[in-house]
Amino acid sequence: MTIPQAAYKVLEAIVGPDYISQDPIDCEAHTPGPNGFETDLGVATILKSPGCVIFPSTTEEVQKIVKTCNRYKVPFIPISTQWWSGRGAAKVEDALMIDLKRMDQCDIDDKHMFAVVGSGLIYSQLQEEAMKRGLYTTIPGGGSQVGVVANHILYGSSPLNYRTCIANRRILGVEWVLPDGEILRLGSCALDKDDYLWGEGIGPDLRGMIRGFSPGWMGSMGIVTKMSVKLVPFQPDKPMPVGISPDTAVELPLKRINWYNFILPSKDALVKAMYEIANAEIGAGLTKVPLFWRAIAKANNKEEFWELWDQESEETVAAMNVLRVLLIGFTSEKQLEYEERVLQDIIVKDLGGKQTRTKPTDESWVKNADSASMWMMCGGYTSLEFDFEAISHAVAKGVDCSKLKKGYTPPLMKAYGDQGWFQVGDYGHLALFEFLTYQDPDDEQKHKVDEWSVALSKMNIENRYYTAQLASHKPLFLTGPAYGPDYHKWMIRFKEEFDPDALSNPPGPADTDLFIQEAEWMQKVKDWPAPKIEANKNPKFE
Amino acid sequence: MKDNYDINNYTYDMDRCIGCKGCVWVDHVYMPGVRYGVKCPSNAYKLFDGYAPMGREKIGKALLEGRIDYTPEYLDVMYMCQLCGACDAGCKRNLDLEPLSVLESLRVKAVKDGKGPMPAHKKVAQNIAEKGNRYGAAEKRSGWITKDTKISDKADMVYFPGCSASYVEKGIAQATGKILNKAGINFMTLGDKDTCCGHPVATSGMLDEAKAIARKNIDILKATGATTLVTSCAECYNTWKVIYPKMLSKNFADMGYQVIHLVEVVSKLVNEGKFTFSKPMNIRAAYHDPCRMARQGEPWVEWEGTRGQWGILTPKKEYRRGTFGVYQQPRDILNKIQGLDLVEMPRMKENAFCCGAGGGVMDAYPDFAMWAATERLTEVQSVAAEAVISACPYCKKVFNEASKANNMNIKAYDITEIILACM
Ligand SMILES: Cc1cc2nc3c(=O)[nH]c(=O)nc-3n(C[C@H](O)[C@H](O)[C@H](O)COP(=O)(O)OP(=O)(O)OC[C@H]3O[C@@H](n4cnc5c(N)ncnc54)[C@H](O)[C@@H]3O)c2cc1C
Ligand code: SF4
Ligand code: SF4
Repeated sequence: MTIPQAAYKVLEAIVGPDYISQDPIDCEAHTPGPNGFETDLGVATILKSPGCVIFPSTTEEVQKIVKTCNRYKVPFIPISTQWWSGRGAAKVEDALMIDLKRMDQCDIDDKHMFAVVGSGLIYSQLQEEAMKRGLYTTIPGGGSQVGVVANHILYGSSPLNYRTCIANRRILGVEWVLPDGEILRLGSCALDKDDYLWGEGIGPDLRGMIRGFSPGWMGSMGIVTKMSVKLVPFQPDKPMPVGISPDTAVELPLKRINWYNFILPSKDALVKAMYEIANAEIGAGLTKVPLFWRAIAKANNKEEFWELWDQESEETVAAMNVLRVLLIGFTSEKQLEYEERVLQDIIVKDLGGKQTRTKPTDESWVKNADSASMWMMCGGYTSLEFDFEAISHAVAKGVDCSKLKKGYTPPLMKAYGDQGWFQVGDYGHLALFEFLTYQDPDDEQKHKVDEWSVALSKMNIENRYYTAQLASHKPLFLTGPAYGPDYHKWMIRFKEEFDPDALSNPPGPADTDLFIQEAEWMQKVKDWPAPKIEANKNPKFE
Repeated sequence: MKDNYDINNYTYDMDRCIGCKGCVWVDHVYMPGVRYGVKCPSNAYKLFDGYAPMGREKIGKALLEGRIDYTPEYLDVMYMCQLCGACDAGCKRNLDLEPLSVLESLRVKAVKDGKGPMPAHKKVAQNIAEKGNRYGAAEKRSGWITKDTKISDKADMVYFPGCSASYVEKGIAQATGKILNKAGINFMTLGDKDTCCGHPVATSGMLDEAKAIARKNIDILKATGATTLVTSCAECYNTWKVIYPKMLSKNFADMGYQVIHLVEVVSKLVNEGKFTFSKPMNIRAAYHDPCRMARQGEPWVEWEGTRGQWGILTPKKEYRRGTFGVYQQPRDILNKIQGLDLVEMPRMKENAFCCGAGGGVMDAYPDFAMWAATERLTEVQSVAAEAVISACPYCKKVFNEASKANNMNIKAYDITEIILACM
């Protein structure tokens, strides 16, 4: 499987022979494996090996590549790190994979506190460069290894969003190669291509269009080549790395930064604590921890995890209302002391919470985020449900998700009624809720995980839960009519306008619809009207 | 008995790769910034995923499933890798898969299928078979021994210099002898039975030949009655401590001998105050962790068992994650030398960037080896060091060659030479 050879010759001339290959060995290596994020699920049945892989190094090269794709009608898919492997893969034969890893620009404007980043830059790199300058960004749950640009387009949620809002609202200037190869610049760079200072203001603000209906277009609306992202002021003492693998962490300057763990007597108390902490406007991160993560942290290996987890029960899980709070003395040591006192007053004095021990280090969130360890327990992991809504919404939804999950366990991992993970955003005005899905990829009933994904969508529609998992991850023609409403019509219209030949990662945003249409085991749950989806065409609505 | 080099024992590890690139990036906690963020030399040199563990695993899986066949590109993918193990420690930080064993076993399979190793590896193997050393040198192996080196006829410790220090970097063997003498430690050599450890044969995937060398060497060592083997070469160290037991499906603890590197001997004495340095060395230097002794330095632990639901292993496996490698000992020694300003490079310890010479790369892909060494030397420059110190003769050689070829004016030393010069 290859792309047209005339196109290959042009592409080779653009990047040079070292940065392009159509060798089947190279293409195989760029095909997502069977057990990445979502690739152990049914959606993998529609994934294809690329016909060619290319590594551009500049926006001009990306533009020329995309124009060549348009000339020769070659479908293409951009990838930053391909960590979201189920989506960072072609769904049509003979596609060009555009790997952006060479574009790792990172120019920080200390004074105005933003970074102009290329698509190949990952979070731990940006965080290190930012912290060298007394600034920081928020590491998302996807891990420090994800592309900064890709994550800002997709969503960018992290417990540290408590103070900063989610990353996709911290996008400033954008340089965007549209599906036809034209460059669109947003924010201040619309006026001066080298000025990345503003996101809004004079010039078009089409950031909502890049993000799409959450969480993004997944590469089906061209390629963002460069972006400026907001950085926020940190405190002066840089956390230093310590330890040897696998036990590495950053040592916190404890007079300035510290994590605090509390166990609250009830879930209501935990929620109240969240609101009160936010009301008091203290803290830098606030998160309720799913209990199995504690077991992961304690275990030395998978076997030990299961020894610990098997000791749990519905009662022990219900009683473990663990709240983790990050305090940072941004302005002074005194700030931290003050916030510590307020925290104690709220949680211990007023709500009867108990403080438990924490390490004087940070393993996740400040510099690193261990998303890869999510696979440690079961061998399979996907996030099939997350929302950006209110704290009360997260609480109610956790209960419903947990109930629904029981019908799909196994193949899902036994969770003893765990009600998901939620993080507080925007000083309590938002909760980022995520219900994590762990499964054994070898389980004979693993198709039930696909059914579970659709069942979650139906539950959301029925109970009117606002969910962030709509386009791309969930069937567009199931969720579209229910949300917006008819947001699917908007997406398809945009897509037709900008990419009439469906070259940018087709059939996005309807790839899940294609999978459901093709998978025989999904027919029993597919009870909504949908047009026939063709892999290399834009979806149509009736 | 389990064959630790049978790729079929690692299908789970290939299958369960999740594409997180923990094998490629420096541990994010230690991520130094935009520059020096990648620790896999192969993937830093060639950007295609095939030149990284996750890509090699997919390609290997496709080969086993009959979806691809051997081609020159396939062999380049499999052999353009130093087997440096940075990926292995990285993967085990979160997941406990076995990428290094996968890479080694795919080479063994290539050889069994009559496709590997590369011509340059065959030549080295032939040299070893015919002359007992990787260079095919006709001279005696004991040429490094000076008159003033006291070597006992009988001792509990055998010094095993390896091919490089016996023929090319003789100064390292000579320094080792003198250091042991000064420390008052009796040692012997294997005399005219001293031969190559077989490292290049094993890493090229020639398992049968490598096993034969292992058995012969172990018998020779046993016949001396000595129980401890001391090396000054990270590759020999690893071969005796990891590769031999792994090939023979035994725990290292059951091999009947101990293996130590000279730095382990000296650091112990230094920390106990029994070995002191009398001469200063005014130099700003970076220490380079040699892969085979640092993150790959833990002894082989044999495991045999089954996998159940969720991938649970019965019995539990004791992983070699690179945690207990030889990292601190050389640093302890160098920190005791007056005037020596020891600095760390951005990629260090388990995240160190390989010198480029290992895994048969220097033999089959010298340009790649030189590129990797040069890349590492830029890192030495980035911390304003004028010298780099390692504990393996192959590192020293490739660094000096790269420095010369690029006019970088960085001197590479072996730690034995530094110890000798300062004692
Ligand atoms: C285990 C796991 C946990 C996660 N948890 C969270 C979380 O808590 N919070 C959070 O915010 N995210 C989370 N994510 C998702 C994460 O945001 C994405 O994986 C990541 O941001 C995308 O970056 P990437 O480098 O992985 O992109 P890739 O995998 O390379 O690409 C992802 C998609 O974006 C498209 N794309 C990539 N680069 C560009 C570009 N420059 N222009 C246009 N399209 C592009 C691709 O075509 C693809 O469809 C999680 C992911 C995983 C795997
Ligand atoms: S052994 Fe070293 S060179 Fe080979 S894949 Fe692993 S990290 Fe890369
Ligand atoms: S670290 Fe392990 S799981 Fe992650 S990509 Fe590398 S080999 Fe695969």
